[in-house]
Amino acid sequence: MQSNFKTIVLLLSAQCLSLTVLGHLNAEETAAEFFEKEIRPALVQHCVRCHGEEKVQGGLRLDTREGWQAGGDSGPAIIAGDPQSLLLQAIGYEDVSLEMPPRGKLPQATIAAFQKWVREGAFDPRSKGTVGDSSQADAPTIEQGKNFWAFQPVVAPVVPELSASEWPKNNVDRFVLTKLNEKGIKPAGDATKENLLRRLTYDLTGLPPTAAQIERFLADESDKATDKLIDRLLQSGHFGERWGRHWLDVVRFAESSGGGRTLLFPDAWRYRDYVIDAFNQDLPFDQFLKEQIAGDLLASEDRFDRQRKLIATGFLMLGPTNYEMQDKDILEMDVVDEQLDTMGKAMLGMTIGCARCHDHKFDPIPTRDYYALAGILKSTHSMKHSNVSTWNTVELPLSAEDEAAFLASTKKLQVIEKQLSEATRVLNTLTGKRDEQPKSVDPGKLNGLVVDSVDAEVVGDWKSSTSVAHYVGKDYIHDEQKGKGAKSVLYRPVLTKKGRYEVFASYSTGANRATKVPYRIKHRNGETVVEINQRKPPPVDALMHSLGVFEFDKDLDSSVLLSTKGTDDGVVIADAIIWLPISDSEINAISQQETKGADDASEVEVEARKKKIAAAKSKVDRLKKEVKALKSSMPKRQVAMAPREGESPADIHVAIRGMTHQKGEIVPRGVLQVAAWDGVPAVSKEASGRAELAEWVANERNPLTARVIANRVWYWTMGRGIVASVDNFGSTGDFPTHPELLDYLAFSLVQNGWSIKKLVRQIVTSRAYQLSADVAEDDLALDADNRFYGRRTVKRLRAEDIRDSILMASGNLDLTMGGSTIKKGTSSEYGYEFEGRRRSVYVPVFRNRLPEIFEVFDFADPNIQGGTRTASNVASQALLMMNQPFVMEQAEDAANRLVEEYSGELDEMLRRAYREVLGREPFEQEREVMIDLLALNDQHGTPPQWAMVYRLLFQCIDFRYLN
Amino acid sequence: MRSNRRNLLKSTACGFGYLAAASMAQREVNAGSNNPLAAKSGHFPARAKRVIFVFMQGGPSHVDTFDYKPLLEKHDGEERTFDDARVLAKTKKITKHRVFKSPWKFKQYGECGQHVSELFPNIAQHVDDLCFLKGMHTDGVAHGPATLFLHTGSINFVRPSVGSWVQYGLGSESENLPGFVTLQPSMGNGGPRNFGNAFLPAVYQGTPVGRAGVSASDAQIRNLSNPKLDSDEQARQFEALRKINAIQKNSRLGDSEMDAMINSYELAWRMQRSVPDILNLSSESEHVKKMYGIGEKETDDFGRQCLMARRLSEAGVRYIQVNYGDNTNNPRWDQHSNLEKHADHALKVDKPIAGLLADLKQRGLLEDTLVWWGGEFGRTPYAQANGTGRDHNPYGFTSFVAGGGVKAGFSYGETDEFGHHAVQDKIHMHDWHATLLHLLGLDHEKLTFKYSGREFRLTDVHGEVITDIFA
Repeated sequence: MQSNFKTIVLLLSAQCLSLTVLGHLNAEETAAEFFEKEIRPALVQHCVRCHGEEKVQGGLRLDTREGWQAGGDSGPAIIAGDPQSLLLQAIGYEDVSLEMPPRGKLPQATIAAFQKWVREGAFDPRSKGTVGDSSQADAPTIEQGKNFWAFQPVVAPVVPELSASEWPKNNVDRFVLTKLNEKGIKPAGDATKENLLRRLTYDLTGLPPTAAQIERFLADESDKATDKLIDRLLQSGHFGERWGRHWLDVVRFAESSGGGRTLLFPDAWRYRDYVIDAFNQDLPFDQFLKEQIAGDLLASEDRFDRQRKLIATGFLMLGPTNYEMQDKDILEMDVVDEQLDTMGKAMLGMTIGCARCHDHKFDPIPTRDYYALAGILKSTHSMKHSNVSTWNTVELPLSAEDEAAFLASTKKLQVIEKQLSEATRVLNTLTGKRDEQPKSVDPGKLNGLVVDSVDAEVVGDWKSSTSVAHYVGKDYIHDEQKGKGAKSVLYRPVLTKKGRYEVFASYSTGANRATKVPYRIKHRNGETVVEINQRKPPPVDALMHSLGVFEFDKDLDSSVLLSTKGTDDGVVIADAIIWLPISDSEINAISQQETKGADDASEVEVEARKKKIAAAKSKVDRLKKEVKALKSSMPKRQVAMAPREGESPADIHVAIRGMTHQKGEIVPRGVLQVAAWDGVPAVSKEASGRAELAEWVANERNPLTARVIANRVWYWTMGRGIVASVDNFGSTGDFPTHPELLDYLAFSLVQNGWSIKKLVRQIVTSRAYQLSADVAEDDLALDADNRFYGRRTVKRLRAEDIRDSILMASGNLDLTMGGSTIKKGTSSEYGYEFEGRRRSVYVPVFRNRLPEIFEVFDFADPNIQGGTRTASNVASQALLMMNQPFVMEQAEDAANRLVEEYSGELDEMLRRAYREVLGREPFEQEREVMIDLLALNDQHGTPPQWAMVYRLLFQCIDFRYLN
Repeated sequence: MRSNRRNLLKSTACGFGYLAAASMAQREVNAGSNNPLAAKSGHFPARAKRVIFVFMQGGPSHVDTFDYKPLLEKHDGEERTFDDARVLAKTKKITKHRVFKSPWKFKQYGECGQHVSELFPNIAQHVDDLCFLKGMHTDGVAHGPATLFLHTGSINFVRPSVGSWVQYGLGSESENLPGFVTLQPSMGNGGPRNFGNAFLPAVYQGTPVGRAGVSASDAQIRNLSNPKLDSDEQARQFEALRKINAIQKNSRLGDSEMDAMINSYELAWRMQRSVPDILNLSSESEHVKKMYGIGEKETDDFGRQCLMARRLSEAGVRYIQVNYGDNTNNPRWDQHSNLEKHADHALKVDKPIAGLLADLKQRGLLEDTLVWWGGEFGRTPYAQANGTGRDHNPYGFTSFVAGGGVKAGFSYGETDEFGHHAVQDKIHMHDWHATLLHLLGLDHEKLTFKYSGREFRLTDVHGEVITDIFA
């Protein structure tokens, strides 16, 4: 809801809803407000396209005050105060020869607004040479902007001296304690070892500690136990999985494009693996950023390094993009905008996107700066256009030998393939077969009316495939041999003539096919069911099988229904159904042909031909094998989603009010002035400027970059940012609670060679991190939100943690790292079943489809850049934990495992289950409740009883919250 | 153990509905407190309390249904110049197209004399209750963009859906049910984004019941029933969970978010009991089922959806979307060729929608329920590529609304003489969103949410309330 101070809605943009400003109303502001709200949008929407910079129809320009003052061919368009002004006559449609806009009369309200505006003096702040919306006096200038804390250079702050205190373990604590003392807050005690172990293990690896790790840690009474634990966790490969996922949130990682016609990103996983690896290798963070912006332009040590750097630029490509958009100019600018917006928020904590349509209202980012940056990305090639465009890809380099081998094999392959096609031709001539057809047949080339599976009404989950020839159109679909009886495909023809038709079904045959696939033909005389054995090759052109000749009316009620009922013995293929109009004479012709085929030949001839055929066939088979062998042995070229430099890098126009087709002045490519310093390299004319952009972003002199990441690391460990709005360091964001501490962390990060692991270590070894979450009531009231870190902020397990932990408990978690995980043959995310048991970071992230457990437990929305996760408590979470088959099954597996492996004393088993899931032993009261459930008839508890215990452990408070 | 737990809740989101032990008085108290779903009053008195949106996915043709254009017949087959939206976006060119008359005959109905084609003989009987918006226009030439625009007011950006904004503005009337339900939604063309909460808190997201492609008789909220445990076992487990959670909550100091989590379980438990009854149509009389076409082959499925919508609206659900759609890239009403197929779709929805209108009216529900019928755009008055169908037309199309505060037997707005562009009393989708919010008592300019440093609203910086259609 709107805030309670007096608000003036200022000028509004096409993309951004403007904010509110404080201020006193005076006459000029009212007029300005009226102009911005009513007049400017109307001028832009209805007039300026023809009366602006591009076209100056009738000699009239309405994009500046001077324009209408001077007027066009018919004289001044507006005379302030004069209700007879030409413009008013034109929009009033008073004179047939002068009706504007020509497409149709403006809404009455708009006409009234123009009348009012002219009557009251036609206030217009737009003057020649102004760009976009420069009318706001409120936006800070660049120089004023530099005084804002976030744009001040980072300097090493003095670490506060604390007299005689043993509390601080390191400098982080000295800053924290100083603030606590200032606020009169007494810090909580230290966390228990159990809590600390669970906290650290989740925070650093996203996994629960195992029972063995708990025992070892609790048994280690040395001072160094915690430090040793921290070192071990930082070294674990799971660190990169956990921390890489943090970064994937920040950069809106996804494996599909989202929007209406969402497209899969089959190579996005490479970027995911790159990120995980970067965190595990502790790649210096400045380098990490540079590679993501301009890895393709950086020098590389070797081929692997080159591959990494190409893959890194996937950062630019992974946005939610509506590739279906028809106006490609707008599409390109939307992609640039998305890239800038993500880069701004993720790396700089700046909402740069606001300046697309107007100077940023609150931060010193003028529209010029936006288009200076946009020019860089517009000079970068990120897309390939067609009706539905796609992202750019680049081939990943092979080693020199592999490259040579690849080329050699390709050549060899061509030769063999040629031989093969020749041999096939020979064979076909002998057997009377036509030349081998291509795998698929274009429906346009078939006679008759074709209804392909894409045009049919499909019920249930069918999978698209192209693996087995022959089929009609771009693919066929199959039922995966699942859900028998519940799936069907309905083909409805549009017959323009009534009459007799022969109906054919096409299918790609194979040994795993169903033998009794029912096709129900609805025709004029009723319904007929024909069963087809799809294991047998289709007799007509190796493509189709006739379902018979039927009479059809012209009406819409004709159809063929293919169902999977009674097809348990194999896969059902649904491809096309073809209605071939037929006259009686043709029917006769067909039956004659069939009888004619049985021609006689002498036995000798038959034998000779058989031999020839056998020889030809063995040659074809041998060549086929060779092709197959060569293909599997030759090096594969792989591709990554990555941009390349555009052919003609150039500065671009400002798009007035963000509208791509409304061009303003051209601005030279460059960076944000407010965060620039003397000596920021200028963009070269010959290149896009991404290299310079990367250099500016990932620079210790950039006031934002190190602060933003230091703050994120603090948030990921402490549960709340020093700047709470982690993606927004602008004036609409939050101010730092501990500015000196933030600068200290940012400064040390740079000092330590931008090592993220060192920064994490610095924080988690502090006492502040290791405090208990418990707090006295009075202190709670002093700092309800724990802004000053006097205690541990209770964090929740993330969606991934919940899933991984449940799989750990059941023993089903597959810890394999990396690689592509989208199921083979997937053509669309819609209907995708998430079945794998890999760690959650490897579960495909689709923009329109996520595993349910992700969806309900506040997984990062991959459509939106966002560095924080929300924490909701909704009933769908409870329903999932109580009833979802996945949770039920894992609880059963966990129970079976417990009973098999640890069968012993009931209490011993219960302790084991508690340790595995909650990282602690049961409280006495809990024990009573659980034993009650367990000890009904079997002294060890039955697996179903234990399954209930596990479900309760998954459902309870202490599982979901991290103390 | 602490018993005097101080209430330091910020706004903890707690579920489809807050679980205060349920008297009205109790709810009033909650309204001012921290329950994000407590019923709230709007900015001004509401004309409608709830919405039923009947979504016709794919874009039904207005010139073949409600927007009668005699000129199409007159010029049928002629080549004329039209600024086709798709051609224009792609090539920036204006080209010639073949005028294509409607294959269906129109007749005037009711006292208002509204023209309706023979596609909708049953809805035609209700024209005196309907308010036609014939000057609709929208953004987005393709299904994905236009469908997202219809539902969220944005083509490319991720924004909350209309139902989420409504819940955010008004809260929920029911304590056992979600406040925003979408029946059998399509998983295509934006899928869940069309009922998503985007940056609004998760409590405001739409709850899907079933999904497109699954029969309405099987439509259910996910995970509402347990696949294995009988009700005794479930009850035993739930009792134990209550105890365990109480123990764990008491072992902690100072974090009341735990109450919200416990409440979410209590609500889930109650939903398990109440929702199946509401979605179960067996208690409805045969007479009522017949009104909706339930039991007849063609209309059974959509009829069930419409009847569920009525039952949900009675039970206090604020925003209900009924979907006639599928999961494909060329959804149901998308007749690029073979326009005749419109007849199939009309047959399937005509009677159920007429039944819904009649049923709402006879129960007095129509007075404060706003029924909204429409697709993501209309279709061109000329043939696509000289073929047998019509392409998308975002420039002009028809929706109708009924009930909750709008004029009955009324028609507002016009397209040009061919039905291509809206020309008179145009209503942009943003305008309609603003109007819908207004009818519910919400000011579209004041219903804002701060996210990423600025205030957002459903209508971005657009939208004009069309007061001319108010009763």
